[in-house]
Amino acid sequence: MMTASGPFSSRIRRAAAAIALGGLFLAGCDNNLRTTEDLPASTPASSDPGAGNWKPIAITGPGQFTVAPPAAATSAAFQAELPPIRAAQASLTEAQRQNIEYWSGGGVLRWNQILREMVARYNLPPAPRVDGTYPAPDADNPFADPAFPFSNPPYAARAYSYVSVAQFEALKVTWFYKYEYNRPSPYRVDTGIQSLMPNTGLPGYPSEDAVLSAVSTDIMRLLFPAAVEEITLRAAQQREAALLSGRASSSDIAAGLALGRAVAAVFTARAAADGMRNAVGTRAQWDAFAAQAAARGEIPWTSLDTPSRPPMLPFFGQVRGWAMTPSDIVAERPGPPPSTSSEQMRQELAEVRTYSDGATREQVAIAHKWSDGAGTYTPPGHWNDIAAEYVRDARMSEVRAARAFALINMSLQDAAVGCWEAKYFYFNPRPTTLDPNATTAIGVPNFPAYTSGHSTFSGAAAAVLGYLFPAGASQFNQMADEAGISRLYGSIHYRSDIDIGKDHGRRIAGYTIRFARQDGADN
Amino acid sequence: MFQTRLPRKATLALAVLAVSAPVRAQTIEDGIMMSKNVLCAGVAYSYDSWDEYWEGTLKRTNGNVGKVTTEAVTVMGTYGITDRLNVIAMMPYVWTDASGGTIHGTKGVQDLTLAAKFKVLETPLTNAGALHVFAVASGATPIGDYTPDLIPLSIGTQSDRFSGRLTLKFQAQKGWFLEGTGAYTWRGKVTLDRPAYFTDGRLYSTDEVLMPDVFDYRLSAGYVNGRVYVPFSFSQQITQGGGDIRRQDMPFVSNRMNASRVDGTVQYYFTKPRNLSVKVNGMYAVTGRNVGQSTMFTAGFLYTFAF
Repeated sequence: MMTASGPFSSRIRRAAAAIALGGLFLAGCDNNLRTTEDLPASTPASSDPGAGNWKPIAITGPGQFTVAPPAAATSAAFQAELPPIRAAQASLTEAQRQNIEYWSGGGVLRWNQILREMVARYNLPPAPRVDGTYPAPDADNPFADPAFPFSNPPYAARAYSYVSVAQFEALKVTWFYKYEYNRPSPYRVDTGIQSLMPNTGLPGYPSEDAVLSAVSTDIMRLLFPAAVEEITLRAAQQREAALLSGRASSSDIAAGLALGRAVAAVFTARAAADGMRNAVGTRAQWDAFAAQAAARGEIPWTSLDTPSRPPMLPFFGQVRGWAMTPSDIVAERPGPPPSTSSEQMRQELAEVRTYSDGATREQVAIAHKWSDGAGTYTPPGHWNDIAAEYVRDARMSEVRAARAFALINMSLQDAAVGCWEAKYFYFNPRPTTLDPNATTAIGVPNFPAYTSGHSTFSGAAAAVLGYLFPAGASQFNQMADEAGISRLYGSIHYRSDIDIGKDHGRRIAGYTIRFARQDGADN
Repeated sequence: MFQTRLPRKATLALAVLAVSAPVRAQTIEDGIMMSKNVLCAGVAYSYDSWDEYWEGTLKRTNGNVGKVTTEAVTVMGTYGITDRLNVIAMMPYVWTDASGGTIHGTKGVQDLTLAAKFKVLETPLTNAGALHVFAVASGATPIGDYTPDLIPLSIGTQSDRFSGRLTLKFQAQKGWFLEGTGAYTWRGKVTLDRPAYFTDGRLYSTDEVLMPDVFDYRLSAGYVNGRVYVPFSFSQQITQGGGDIRRQDMPFVSNRMNASRVDGTVQYYFTKPRNLSVKVNGMYAVTGRNVGQSTMFTAGFLYTFAF
């Protein structure tokens, strides 16, 4: 058997014992993930009763929508809505309890999480055909291969902005009518009904949860049609949670559903005519970009995908923004990049090459941290992820949380439009095109280099977050700096792309922040 | 945009299949023991390449990676504490390359594997031969600070692992043998450099990744005498969970990486110098899921020291 044979072998045996114990530990105790985005139930610090009068963004105001006066809290009609809630609360299933707990984390925050998941799910470029061409995602056939959409960064920026702005507008209208009619929630009328979600102190009619469920559903199923089943189920669960928690009666929910739909219709109509349908362009137009760059004496951008892939949404620069007009977009366009034949470009390329040849492990980690490429929630999603924790910790009312995401995502959409306008105006090549010996730590995005999308997004988002959460401003700027430089560490951008992109993003955010400072929410 | 799979994974997960395949004999998987106070140490070089891989179950090529090669130099040693208890250590240095696309390969010291192999039983079975039974416990831990988030160009999974293995061998008196071995491997969490990731249909808001367990088995038949050791094997690696690579997506560290492989080895023991042997192995992935269709060649030498 195991005869001991000297100190050497006993050391080995101790090592073996350590392996075995380590294995038991590994097998037994290592299955919990440290998630960074738990959303525990939390009561808002303020119910923001004045939010109904905050300035609108894309609607004219509450008067644009009709919400019929509710039956009085004392009426027989309303009283008849209460016994079913009492009965349901008396026999809640475990699934119903979990659903209430889930939505107690905040409707706006939950929909933002769901949206980020949708973006990551659909952020995959089409696979090439055998002949080396690429099929285009088809909104009329979203379940096919390729799936629709390809929620790349511009698509995602637009998606986050539509959902967030529509939610914000819908909730302002909701707040207006809540305080206009002032009908209390079921749990405040009937002592037999418990309050199983955080007490917001809000009047119940119309239900903000139902409004959120409807406005989110109608916009998200336009953006992610193949996810219609999941989106619809989530929305129904949100309404069920509102009802079973004692927060909303069935008439609160019906009115909220109708209002949410009516507000969503404004945004689905806007989305149909915002220029997105023309953002892809044609091969002749793509070729014209290259010809124009060559005519200026510049080396044009070329796709580094194999097989060569059409450029990503070359006319996204003409899609409608939120706080910026098309002429604002052109006016804010950065000046030209260093010429591809200039000494400055030669030096910047040499700098890229130093990272290509020898980035440190820490630099590679930063490149990966901010890579946000295919299959992820994109850089706009990353900034929503960052924002979510601040919004949660600030214990905002739903309408104020919606405002935070609306402002961030307005500026991110404007940044996408402005950045894409500049990218295709200059059509500047990637470092790996100018230096065939350069390689990268991460994938090279399939669009021109100047300016860096990450840097523009990050400059914009950090500025808006700094406005919303001044105590975190220096942290946001440091994150934006890191996101920007990560692209140099990954060897996919020149330093000019990054520095000028960040500055561009900050100027773009200025438009949103100027709106925000006078919308009434800071008073 | 880049898809593939990780040949390395096998090694990592099991400390058996891929990179360390060269030195399989007198290692974790086989039915061979070193005698008391004998050390068998060696070095092996392996070259693994593929240009087709399984994206989930769809077999394809991808111009953005082209041909992916993974090379490794593995140092290993087995020491006989007693005739029935051996300890084994191995550690590879790995480097990767993709012929297509712009992304460069990575390189570095991968993981240290330590194992204890115990001969449970050796008993005559009929007049023709004897049955041998072995139990192996092994653990592996990453040594190099490499990223696991660039599969197939990562050099490993950056996951701690523990395996329990049982091996049965029927050794006929005339040198022929049949062998079967199976192992179950638990794998520890992996930490990424990014704060969120999407896999298996879900977005995870964390940098931590749960790694599915892996079951593997191998069936071998061959011939052994004082001069040569020649086994041929069929092996399967079956990951107990994890998501598929999505259409046109990158692979991910916790993907369900399965493979069926065939391989053959020839090991030759020199008469002079007496304690030297050389060994070559060829291995081919017949079917797979979320892995490349690897062909791997390994060549190594082993030297035996008696104390």
